[in-house]
Amino acid sequence: MADIFNPTPEHKALREMVRAFAEKEVGPQAEAHDKHETFNIELFRKLGELGLLGVTVPLAYDGSGMDATAACIIHEELSAQDPGFCLAYLAHSMLFVNNLAVNGTEEQKKRLLPKVCSGELIGGMCMSEPNAGTDVLGMGTLATKDGDDYLLTGEKMWITNGAISDSDLGDVFLVYAKHEDRDGRGLSLFLVEKGMEGFSLGQKLKGKLGMRASTTAELVFENVRVPAANLVGTEGGAVKSMMRNLAIERLTLAAMSLGIARRSVEVMNQYAQDRKSFGQPLNRFGQIQKYIAESYAEYMAGRCYVYNTANELALDAMGGRMDSDGVKLYCSTMGKNVADRAIQVLGGYGYVAEYNVERLWRDAKLLEIGGGTIEAHQKNMTRDLAALERLP
Amino acid sequence: MKILTTVKRVTDPDMKVKIKPDGTGIVTDGVEYKMNSFDEYGVEEAIVLKQNHGGEVVVVSVGPSASTKEIRTALAMGADRGILVETDAELDSDAVARVLAEVVKKEQPDIIVMGKQAVDSDRNQAGQMLAAYLGYPQATFAYSLEVADGWATVGREVDGGTSTKRIKLPGIVTADLRLNEPRYASLPGIMKAKRKPLETMTPDDLGVDVTSKVRVIKYEAPEERQAGRIVETVDELIEVLRNEAKAI
Repeated sequence: MADIFNPTPEHKALREMVRAFAEKEVGPQAEAHDKHETFNIELFRKLGELGLLGVTVPLAYDGSGMDATAACIIHEELSAQDPGFCLAYLAHSMLFVNNLAVNGTEEQKKRLLPKVCSGELIGGMCMSEPNAGTDVLGMGTLATKDGDDYLLTGEKMWITNGAISDSDLGDVFLVYAKHEDRDGRGLSLFLVEKGMEGFSLGQKLKGKLGMRASTTAELVFENVRVPAANLVGTEGGAVKSMMRNLAIERLTLAAMSLGIARRSVEVMNQYAQDRKSFGQPLNRFGQIQKYIAESYAEYMAGRCYVYNTANELALDAMGGRMDSDGVKLYCSTMGKNVADRAIQVLGGYGYVAEYNVERLWRDAKLLEIGGGTIEAHQKNMTRDLAALERLP
Repeated sequence: MKILTTVKRVTDPDMKVKIKPDGTGIVTDGVEYKMNSFDEYGVEEAIVLKQNHGGEVVVVSVGPSASTKEIRTALAMGADRGILVETDAELDSDAVARVLAEVVKKEQPDIIVMGKQAVDSDRNQAGQMLAAYLGYPQATFAYSLEVADGWATVGREVDGGTSTKRIKLPGIVTADLRLNEPRYASLPGIMKAKRKPLETMTPDDLGVDVTSKVRVIKYEAPEERQAGRIVETVDELIEVLRNEAKAI
C-alpha cells in the first residue's frame, strides 16, 4: 500500500528525525514557554542546524530542496509536542522563507535566504491590520513612490515573530501594502528589515489564550523608506504572491491541527486503558469509546485530506485553492474537538497542565482564526464550488 | 582510517511489547522499527573518528531488506556507504558475528565500532563473538575512545566503576551510553543519503550458514508487580515479611 503520509523513504526519514527531536527537545520545554509567554530562540536555531528552516528552499540558497509534503510532516510532528513553538516555525519558514524563495528576486534570495535558513535572522509576514483581517484588500498600509524608493506608512497586527522578546523586533518581514493611485487589488510586497528608520515594535501582545510560545506583535511603519531593491515581485502584483503562499500556509496550519489531534488521541487512548472506574478501564464504557473512536476516525480523515492535497501541491503554482481552504476548514475544528474530547475523557486530569491536552485545546482554537478564519474558508470554497457543475 | 560500524533494525523500544498468545514470539503488527539505540552511539563515534582522522565510515546491517531504512539513517548522519547482508532468517548473535566476520575480512577496516547490545533481545554478544572469530582485541562498554598510532585507548564502564584499556588495532569497540551524544540526521543529510552507495549481499554470498544455534522455546511476560504498601510499624513489617512475603 502506498504510504501517502510518507511518500518516499526521505519523507519517512524526515518524519522519524523530527519526531525524535520533538519528543526529546521540544516537548520538555513546552509547558514553561506556554506559561511565561516566551519564544525559545535557542531551540528555534537548532531547527536551522537540522535543515528544517529552509525545508522548501532550493539547495542553491542553503535550503533543503523538499516539498509541501515535507513541510506538512515537520509541522505535524512539531505541533504534536508544542503548537506554539511550531507556529513560530510556520511564520518563519512558510510565510517568510518559502514566500521569498518562490516570489523573491535573485538578489533578494541570495542576500537573505542563507541567513533565514540557518536561523541567524528570524522572519515573519505582515498582512492583517488592526482594522483589516479577512477583508485583506481593505488594508490601510500605504506605499508611496518617492524617487526610486517607497515610503511605507501604516500598522500591522497579529504578526507572529513580530517580536523575539518583550522589547525586540524580529529581523526581516514581508509586508503587504497598497498604493493610493491604484485600484483596490493593486497590492505590493516589500522586504522590511529591522533597523530601517520609522519601523518599530508597537507592542508585543500579551494574555493570549494559546500559542503562547510564539510571539504576536503589532508593528508600526512611519514613513519607512524601502529601496526599490526590496520590492518583491512587481509593483501592484502582490496578490499573486499572496495566493501562492496562502496555499502552503493553510496546508501547514492544517498539519498543525493534525499534530494536536494525534497527540490528543494518544493521550486519551492511553488514559482510558489505565484509569479504572466502577471496576473496569474507562475504555470499556460506551460513552468513552465514542470519544476515542470518533476522534481517531476524524483525525485519519483529516490526515488523508491534508497529505493528499500536499502531495499534489506545486509550491510555485496558484492552484489547489479550494482544497487548501478545505483542509484547514476541516482540520482546525477537528483538532479543537479532538483536544476537547481528550480533556473530557481525562476529566479533572485533562483540565490541568500535566497531561498537556488543556494546552493543546487552547492552541487548537487559534487555528480556526489565524491564516484565514473558518468563515473565510467557507466563503472562498462556496464561491469556487459555485463554478463547478459536477465534482470529479 | 577506515571505520566499520553496524546497525540493527529493532522494534521501537518505547512501544509496549505484546507477546503472541502462543508464546512463539512478539506481536509485530503495527509495530514501528528503528535503529538500535546503542548503535546510534556506535555510528556517532565512527563519524567523530572520521572527522578527527579522515577516512571512510562503512555501515553494515544484517537482516531483512527493510533494514535499508536503518542503514540510510546512518548514511544521513554522515556514514559514507552501506552494506546490507540480507536475510529473513531468525538470527542469533553467533550467526550475526560470523556474517560480520566475513564482511570485515572483505573490508579490512582499521577499527570496528558497534553498539554494546541490541535493545530488542538484549543479548550483548555479537561484538565479543566477532572479536573471537577474527582473533581481534576487544574493548566493550566504551564511554571514551581515543585513537593514535595504531592503538585505541578505551574508557570502559565496569561493575563498581570504570577501567581503561588499550587495544592494538584492528580491534573492536562496543559503545555504551555515555560515549557521546548521537546527532540527528539533518534534512540535507537525509537528502544526501539517498545518493550514497548501498551494496546488498546475502549470507550465502559470504559463505555463511546462518541457521540458528539458539532455539527459542517460549516468550513469557514477567509477572505483573503488585502495588507496594506502607506499613505502620516495624513490628508489622516483620510480621508481613515473615508470614505474607515469607522473605524472612
